[in-house]
Amino acid sequence: MDALELCYLSAGELARMLGGREVSPVEVIDAHLSRIADTEPVLNSFITLLPEHARAAAQRAEAQIQAGQYRGPLHGIPVGLKDLFNTAGVRTTSGSRLFDNFLPERDCTVAARFQQAGAILLGKLNMHQFAYGPTGENFDYGHTHNPWDPERITGGSSGGSGAATAAGQCTITMGSDTGGSVRIPAALCGIVGLKPTYGLVSRAGLTPLSWCLDHPGPMTRTVTDAALTLSVIAGYDPQDPASAQGNIPDYAAALTGSVPGIRIGIPREYFDAPLDSEVAQTVSAAIALLEQLGAEVTEVSLPMFPDSQAISGTILMAEAAAYHRELLAKDGDKLDPAVRLRLEAGLFVTAADYLKAQQARAKFNREMAALFREVDLLAGPAEPITAPPILAVEVDINGQAVGTTAALTQYTRPYNISGSPAISLPCGFSASGMPIGLQLAGKPFAEATVLQAAYAYEQATDWHTRRPPI
Amino acid sequence: MPEENPNPLTREAFDYLAQAAGLDLADPHLDELFPYARNALAGMERLRQIAVADAEPAQAFRPAQSFQE
Repeated sequence: MDALELCYLSAGELARMLGGREVSPVEVIDAHLSRIADTEPVLNSFITLLPEHARAAAQRAEAQIQAGQYRGPLHGIPVGLKDLFNTAGVRTTSGSRLFDNFLPERDCTVAARFQQAGAILLGKLNMHQFAYGPTGENFDYGHTHNPWDPERITGGSSGGSGAATAAGQCTITMGSDTGGSVRIPAALCGIVGLKPTYGLVSRAGLTPLSWCLDHPGPMTRTVTDAALTLSVIAGYDPQDPASAQGNIPDYAAALTGSVPGIRIGIPREYFDAPLDSEVAQTVSAAIALLEQLGAEVTEVSLPMFPDSQAISGTILMAEAAAYHRELLAKDGDKLDPAVRLRLEAGLFVTAADYLKAQQARAKFNREMAALFREVDLLAGPAEPITAPPILAVEVDINGQAVGTTAALTQYTRPYNISGSPAISLPCGFSASGMPIGLQLAGKPFAEATVLQAAYAYEQATDWHTRRPPI
Repeated sequence: MPEENPNPLTREAFDYLAQAAGLDLADPHLDELFPYARNALAGMERLRQIAVADAEPAQAFRPAQSFQE
């Protein structure tokens, strides 16, 4: 098998070959480093690349596997972490030059669980500074470029994770999602992005953006890989005050490709919002396919959907400003100017407004909970548009000018408010060749149902097998 | 009753709040921040329209958790 083919194998396929000694971890890592060398000048996915570390880890993995010490499906698999996941002895910048020399003493919990599973870290991935923006643009380390069209954004904030996965630089990457930062780049780069339930995956050792909205999640090319990854990284962590207790199932083993009996609700408000007509048609066709596969599809209503931007935005502004307040006072002039403005604006949110947003969140979640008594999943577009050009401040949606940030977070923020699991998976392409994402969301801790429906859709289509032209 | 914001952010109020937040009023950057903050706060206007009298804030205090090791 040639090197490029190795880079586009799923983790599940690679695991079978690695476990069966058909390919060595050294070959796999070398193939990915070669792919990175070929594509990185265009994509700029990485802030820190770790070739020596990765080769040494691959040699160790090879020796372990040959000695019969195979650790499981992530052993020898190349992974990348968004550069706000602390990694012991490896700089972690959070997308800011101010942290160019920050070497964490300890791994974050997610990195430690990857390492325990035998995954091999290729590097730290580019991101919107402090995760405070949905485009993936970064003025300190350079913008990340979309593998499907380098003139366009990856989406963010986990933009490097989106590009690296889509272009075969990494098999699995991790992002963090506060208002959509896993699902936005997943949708715009044509991959799978899963935001698990709040508390299912530990936030310990991640740079916070908003304590009560942050969700770490995997970004992969297949639903099965998202499930495999989730089983490794999920689970109680006493270092995260929000961490949930509970047994973690083998999510991948439970995937059958069957959806009969699953009730899917389509909030009518999603289609009343600004939505590109080509995206609307594509997502509607995807939902129709789920219905053909046996899901029961009904229209539902989420009347507070239009309030989600104000609720999430207010909480985010206040918490981000609180976390970064000292940095703003000391080094505000060294930040990305747009990120600085966002952070400083949060200083003007009153305590009463913040608490009102938390009250509204409780009310929003009651509405969401009532919906999840009627249906198992909610479905709709992950994004109202395909990837816009880099640095576009506004986007045109059916002749209406909409702010880029508002547009990109329109469908993702509701599930950060509810803390429920949500996935974006590829469901088609625009006439200009840009990916379109379908979003499926479930009630808290119903990851298995979300993954089941996503897997069924994926198995019935071939969108996930397409490769970007780079 | 839904609230309304009868007083959109003025420059005078902005300067007062900026000073209280520890920002340097002599910094010319505030001329850029003022319109940005005013627009951002205007985006919260919708929040003020939501009737929430029947809802406690979603961030609940959980004493049992606070006293865990």
